[in-house]
Amino acid sequence: MSIKEFITSIPVNKVGIKDLLGFEKSPRNLLVAVFTLAFLAMFVVGVATYLIHGHHAYGVTREHPWGLLIAVYIFFVVSSTGMCIVGSLGDVFGFKDYEAISKRAIFASIVTIIAGFAVIAFEIGHPVTMLIYNVLSPGLTSAIWWMGTLYGLYLTFMIIEFVFLLKGDMKNAKRFGLTGLLVGLAAHSNLGSVFGFLNARPISNGVFYPTYFILTAFITGVFIAFILMGFRYKLNFPAEIKKMLEGLAKIQGLLISILIFFVAWKMLTDIYGGMPNRAEVAVHILGSWTFWAEVILAMAIPLLVILKDYGKSPVLFFWVSLSGMVGIFFMRYNLVHDTQLKPLQMMKTREYMIAPEWVHYSPSATEIMISLGGLGLCIAMYYAGTKFFNLDADEH
Amino acid sequence: MEVEISRRKFLQGTATMSIVGGAVAGTSLLSAGHGGGEHKAAAGMPSSITTKTGTKEAKEVPFLCGMCVNKCAGFARVEEGIVTKLNPNPYFPKSRNMLCPRGNAGIQTTYDPDRLKHPMIRIGNRGEGKFKKVSWDEAYDAILHGTDKFKGLVQILDEEKDNRATIGYCNGEGLSKEGFEDLVGKKIGTPNYVDEVSICLETAGGGFFATIGIYPEVDVEHSDYMIIAGANRAEAIITPDTMDIFKKTKGRGLKTICIDPRFTNTAAKSDKWLPVNPGTDLAYILAMTYVVFNENLQNEKFMQKHGVGYKEYKEHILAKKYTPEWAEPICGIKAKDIYSMARDFMDAESPILYPGRRSIFSPNDYQLRRAMAIFQALSGNLDKKGGYIYGNPIMLPPEFTNAPIYTQAKERFDTDGIAFPTIKSGSWIVFRNMVLEGKNPYPLRVMLMRKHNPMMSVPNTAKTEEFLKKMDLNVMIDILPCDTTMYADVVLPEASYLERTSPVKAYGFLEPSVVQRKAAIEPLFETKTPEVIYKELAEKLSKPLFEVSKKHDKDLQEQIKARGEEKVYKEDGYDLADAWEMPIEEKNKEVIEKVYGEEAWKTIEEKGVYYPHMEEYHKQLSPNDYQYYPKSKRFYSTQGDRIRVICKYDNLATGGIDAMPTWKDEWNFSVPNGKFRLITGRHAQFTQSGTTNNIMLRDLIGTNFVWINKRVAKKMGISFGDMVEVKSEIGKVQLKAYPTEKIAPNQTFMLHGFGSESEGMEMAYGNGANDAVIIKDDIEPAFGAAVMHSTDVEIRRV
Amino acid sequence: MARYGMALDYKNCINCKACEVACKEENGVLLGADKHRIWVGTQEVEGEWPLLDIISNTFLPSQCQHCDDAPCQMVCPTHATYYDDNHVVRVDSDKCILCSYCMNACPYDARYVDDRTMTVDKCTFCSDTRLARGETTTACQNTCPTKVRTFGDLDNYDSEISTLLRTREHFSLKANLGTKPKLFYLT
Repeated sequence: MSIKEFITSIPVNKVGIKDLLGFEKSPRNLLVAVFTLAFLAMFVVGVATYLIHGHHAYGVTREHPWGLLIAVYIFFVVSSTGMCIVGSLGDVFGFKDYEAISKRAIFASIVTIIAGFAVIAFEIGHPVTMLIYNVLSPGLTSAIWWMGTLYGLYLTFMIIEFVFLLKGDMKNAKRFGLTGLLVGLAAHSNLGSVFGFLNARPISNGVFYPTYFILTAFITGVFIAFILMGFRYKLNFPAEIKKMLEGLAKIQGLLISILIFFVAWKMLTDIYGGMPNRAEVAVHILGSWTFWAEVILAMAIPLLVILKDYGKSPVLFFWVSLSGMVGIFFMRYNLVHDTQLKPLQMMKTREYMIAPEWVHYSPSATEIMISLGGLGLCIAMYYAGTKFFNLDADEH
Repeated sequence: MEVEISRRKFLQGTATMSIVGGAVAGTSLLSAGHGGGEHKAAAGMPSSITTKTGTKEAKEVPFLCGMCVNKCAGFARVEEGIVTKLNPNPYFPKSRNMLCPRGNAGIQTTYDPDRLKHPMIRIGNRGEGKFKKVSWDEAYDAILHGTDKFKGLVQILDEEKDNRATIGYCNGEGLSKEGFEDLVGKKIGTPNYVDEVSICLETAGGGFFATIGIYPEVDVEHSDYMIIAGANRAEAIITPDTMDIFKKTKGRGLKTICIDPRFTNTAAKSDKWLPVNPGTDLAYILAMTYVVFNENLQNEKFMQKHGVGYKEYKEHILAKKYTPEWAEPICGIKAKDIYSMARDFMDAESPILYPGRRSIFSPNDYQLRRAMAIFQALSGNLDKKGGYIYGNPIMLPPEFTNAPIYTQAKERFDTDGIAFPTIKSGSWIVFRNMVLEGKNPYPLRVMLMRKHNPMMSVPNTAKTEEFLKKMDLNVMIDILPCDTTMYADVVLPEASYLERTSPVKAYGFLEPSVVQRKAAIEPLFETKTPEVIYKELAEKLSKPLFEVSKKHDKDLQEQIKARGEEKVYKEDGYDLADAWEMPIEEKNKEVIEKVYGEEAWKTIEEKGVYYPHMEEYHKQLSPNDYQYYPKSKRFYSTQGDRIRVICKYDNLATGGIDAMPTWKDEWNFSVPNGKFRLITGRHAQFTQSGTTNNIMLRDLIGTNFVWINKRVAKKMGISFGDMVEVKSEIGKVQLKAYPTEKIAPNQTFMLHGFGSESEGMEMAYGNGANDAVIIKDDIEPAFGAAVMHSTDVEIRRV
Repeated sequence: MARYGMALDYKNCINCKACEVACKEENGVLLGADKHRIWVGTQEVEGEWPLLDIISNTFLPSQCQHCDDAPCQMVCPTHATYYDDNHVVRVDSDKCILCSYCMNACPYDARYVDDRTMTVDKCTFCSDTRLARGETTTACQNTCPTKVRTFGDLDNYDSEISTLLRTREHFSLKANLGTKPKLFYLT
């Protein structure tokens, strides 16, 4: 069949504005709706401020050029890759228990990466130049080039896979799903390698970030899966969903344990021996509250809840997942901030100043608004998706 | 989008100097609609603060930098009528092919939006900053006849019966300094000149002159040992010494001992640093002299031949027992260091005790410099390679000024407490204080000022303010609306150094040369070059002032009766403008061609520099090094038997000064508990108070900080950047604190040149603290020069 | 063509900052301490008065090292950072997307953002100003009072810089990172 026929045969619900606004007006739903609209408004304000003032509206500096927006972008693409992995469990690897979430997960992965792109579009100084010269004069040794290109490809594959999922064409869905997954994993570990390749930053340099990114992506995916399922079923899970969630929780337990293991050893090997530019940064990180927020919210509490009864309390875990995502956000922010903590040149450039010790950064209001705006975009798009598409698993 | 630092961002809510009837002037130029530091509209102004140089053809005009005293030679790159870059001129031996940060930043002074653009007369009260824009003719007229706010010169001189000495004048260093001296001192005929040297190096120079006959250059290149005390050559750049010294320190041929109360950049570059108590240098110099005499290390033959009063001096030093052990508690340098310095100095092949040139530390400075000169002479290292250089300075034919004789003009009166009042340069502090205390024998009613900022440069600003307010007429010729300009009645705007051609001048003893500054661009706005201002002022003042003289000067009346007015007017010099008949470009041509010929003139026009045999001597040796004179042609030894080292100077006794350097206990250093001794100093990015408004230099030093020893600051609860109040017995200021171990626990330091009160200078206004407000106006007894290091202050957090 | 580098006799440096001003004036760089192409770094002096450690107060001029194996040009996604004919690391502001990767990858803090074009900028060895006019010195070298800097062609055996590097001991900053910097500090 032709392209046009192909596209028109995708099952899309006929939805109007009235339908979009016609959700159950429970307090919880209203709260989410209000926040989403507020975030969307913030996005508009933030973008407008940026368009007027440029990078001066941000808190980034010469010593700390990557700020909150980069962290939020990473947060979104991690979530996207994670959702892709979770989604692939069912339709690519054929684990029947997890088929229920495949469509939803793949859609979520599309939505989150689009939100991520929306945020980074206002961080990259010249996005149009990027689109032109990434093609005309690509820097093939650049991790950012690979990441950008691969994420573009990944998005394409995800969209195609989702289309096939909607149409119920499981064979093609599996093909594109597998390709998309592999490309997504490649893209994501390239994102990690953006930090891993930095010879100038011993705290980030090395194998840790490219690999641990994949691990944390999976963890993030599971958290989001719980959140999506929680909203879908209003915390009243049917039996087969409960089974799936229990399985996911057990997987999560394993993953978090591995994560704690990795992070602990990273810290230990960083500090051991007092290597300059690495040890003192690691010690500094251990003393910062954002690190402990990450550990407690994203690692300690979820693990404890899972261990409590081996994942049999999905409702509790839904709430833990919400705080877990906050922890994941801190994980991304820490990653970006820690890389730039140690000044590259430690001398005074003026007589009357204090010698540089640590690089300080605090996000500006505009950055916060755009970040929250991205979240609002994400929620809004997902919500629209739940209306336009049937995201539940098809009955076979 | 704001792309450059808004100058307004540096300050919050300042009122600009208000100028009535003028086109936008001062900072209101910037408020015309754009937040960026952009210069607008006036023809020939660049459109951004720094301008990238282009690759097209450009004019390269030889100029001499006017940012400080060194007059380094450079080439100004002029593209489409705008100076885009200042490059070093490799032909001038003295400046050694370089430009320091201020030299490079000269563009920002020329294009400073706060520059004085047109003549102004005062319509408010002195110090308020309310001026009215006028034309040049109106300004000259106001000087002559005054306004309802101030009196005119004619009236004042008439009331004073043509006593020209009722006019005082002060002048800043520069190539047009002599012109102003000619105008006011010789032509207008007042003796009351307060030269800037009395708050600077007059005493140091005087000490050396009196002892060895010159204020020497030093041949650093061949020296192997140098003691540099109180001369911060890394930050107080003097050419060519700065360039030569720091290539050889740190074990590369010149062992350098730096002696300074604080750890300066020079100390950081030296091989050894010895902290000394401020104002006690004479003690260790005497102690070193004692060691030399005691151990017979001196060059006896040299001293026997050239010394005057040498035997008496030797006996005097030994009898007074100025041992290192005696000196240690006074100056704070360990006795063993004094011993080793004295011995190493005499042991070295070519030692130099660096002369230093700066304002006075303490009242004993004159004796200090004498003792230093004698100590150097003890090594015999005078007038030779690696030592003090007398050299062969070029003497251009002096200009003859036909100076009228004003019989009604009285003598200068600033002699209180001074042993040797100078006839020419006076003493700022004594002059001002005597007027304030009413001790002047006749009224002083006029101050004609040029390129000088006494409100910030003379100690005790409160008194300077009172003094300026006391005058009946204040005239200021300046580039920027500095603090003192706020107290002027008539302000004449001068063109900056990049906009003028100046008289040729000769520099250098060892490698002498003649240099010329040519104008890179035409004077901006309505400014005029100094020589044009002198001429026009002279033209305007000539006849009216002649009339006053005619009325009161009996001798003149007789001359007129005898020879006729026209003749007397022309021949006796009463035509004030006759000294400026020839424009400066022609004058220069005449001088150079007369002394050196036409080829020399062509060379100096193109290259800015000339010296005999320049074409064969001047070579480029490497990308960084040039040869100006081959070594065989440099003037290392020129004096032969003529050297005299005056160890005992009986003349001094007539003024109550010791004939031989002697220590007096009143010079001992002590600071009351809890207080700090305030010392002054330089920083390579600033020239006194002249550069505070330069936006590029302000980028390098935002404001001045007061140095407090770190441990003391910790005890007082002061951390970096805290606002503190520094109070002396005459005033107090507020500025930020800089805790550092580079200063002693009982001393403090702040950079000079900040804390301007002039609202017309956006960058400088209210920024930092003015040390002249708190430094006491003590004087040293020889010339009445200002002592800078005798003030104790209290510091507390605010 | 050439392979430009610079030798610095850094012990001559007196921290006067003439080079900083000359660079900004020659290349039209914006004012501001964070808009340095070149700078002179200094450390807080160690010790307690009067026993201060003279050596601790060295002055170290620094700038883009124009590394032969520059991490900045490796990580640029659009080849905006590239080597020109003289092996000088340059930034093509038409291609720069301000992803700031190079700013983080440079071990020497050499790069900053030029507010006017919103692209990354750094020392260019005066390539588009002085060198483009055929001069043989950079602005910083030319103006230095104590002649710290010697700029020249490393591939030219006879050049002053080659002679200096052959005959005097020298070190480079962060040499262990393998960036092969072309700034050599003569000891």
